[in-house]
Amino acid sequence: MAERISLEIPATLGALSTLRMVMGGLVMRLEFSIEDLDDLSLATGELLRTALVDDPLDRLTVEVEVEDGLLRFAAGRFRSARLRSEITVHRGSLDLCRLLSSTVDEVTLEDGEGFYRVVLVKRRGSAA
Amino acid sequence: MSTRDERRVSDPLDLEVLPGQKRPYDDEDEELEEHEQPRGRDETMKKDQYLLRVYHYGKDSDDPAERRRAIEARQELITMYLPLVRSLARRYASRGEHFDDLVQVGAIGLIKAIDRFDLERGVELTTYATPNIVGEIKRYFRDKGWSVRVPRGLQELNIRLNKVIDELVPKLQRSPTIQELAEAANATPEEVLEALETSQAYNSVSLQASANGEGGEEDAGLIDYLGGEEEAYDTMEDRTALAPGFAKLDKRERYILHLRFFEGLTQSQIAERVGISQMHVSRLIRRSLEKLREEIGDLDAPHIARPPDAAR
Repeated sequence: MAERISLEIPATLGALSTLRMVMGGLVMRLEFSIEDLDDLSLATGELLRTALVDDPLDRLTVEVEVEDGLLRFAAGRFRSARLRSEITVHRGSLDLCRLLSSTVDEVTLEDGEGFYRVVLVKRRGSAA
Repeated sequence: MSTRDERRVSDPLDLEVLPGQKRPYDDEDEELEEHEQPRGRDETMKKDQYLLRVYHYGKDSDDPAERRRAIEARQELITMYLPLVRSLARRYASRGEHFDDLVQVGAIGLIKAIDRFDLERGVELTTYATPNIVGEIKRYFRDKGWSVRVPRGLQELNIRLNKVIDELVPKLQRSPTIQELAEAANATPEEVLEALETSQAYNSVSLQASANGEGGEEDAGLIDYLGGEEEAYDTMEDRTALAPGFAKLDKRERYILHLRFFEGLTQSQIAERVGISQMHVSRLIRRSLEKLREEIGDLDAPHIARPPDAAR
């Protein structure tokens, strides 16, 4: 059965540590390896660090869902075209797009009305 | 109060030793005193005072010969008191930094003590130099070690985890889970998670750190390894070096980022190739990304290595 945790956190770097601990607790039950956890931590950390600069929100909405050896992380609500571009367009260097694709299995954008969410999926044992 | 009790109180890092117990270096210190000061205390003091006077009275002399003798006296003082530096550095060698690095740092404290010594105060050089040496080593830990206050228990668990991971990876042929780590390190999964989280506060990876993370004096340091891999770094397809900010990374950092993000190697595979622990690789990757961020500047280019033509 899927387990889902929804969080609304301040859009600050300080809140990322709390987020990592929450993900760590969920990952523990999924029997992810510490490398999987490190990859997730790196991907979400870099994504949110970039988002905090590109898209000056007061609060971030984060949803973490685990099921059958898979963790799904969704964050929003973003509006920045620049962030969208950085997530989806690879420009040949170590950019956010490359970092995400190197550390998680799927990166998708879910569009809403005037905003979008970034969804990262990590599978157990997929430390690339 | 006994001598050992006094040491406990004055020990800046408060190594946890109960009255009556000995620290590993206690005997070494006694041994050092016996071996390093064979001339006797009075004779050593006389020589100290003589050399200090030669140095301090001669260093600014108009006479080149006196200035030369002053420099030689200073050098002799440094050489004479290096055993003291080594003895003090040994007390901190188990705290994750390489012994030779600590000796170098402690030697800076010794040199400062010699240079600032006031001949009129009538104290022994050892009395004045010891707090200077210890202070310099403490400053090194403060500046280069844990960047935020991390409880001692978690620091120790972190060091233990480093070792346990190195043991488990070859045994399991994969990266261990939190539960496996907890069992092997005799800790709860929550403690392991917390320790891993706090490990991100540790920002120093000494170039002299031993390849196995143990910090032993006899181990080959990363510097030795880097020398051997120089050619590999130079000949690799180093696209990463072309990105903004990468020029500020050293070759090893670029190499590790290249292996992780362009060659697709896992941290464990990189650890095996480079000859350091997986946690070490993890820290190096984070530190390199942090350096890139600092170099590029969060406001102008918020994410790592933004290319010049990135959309704004």
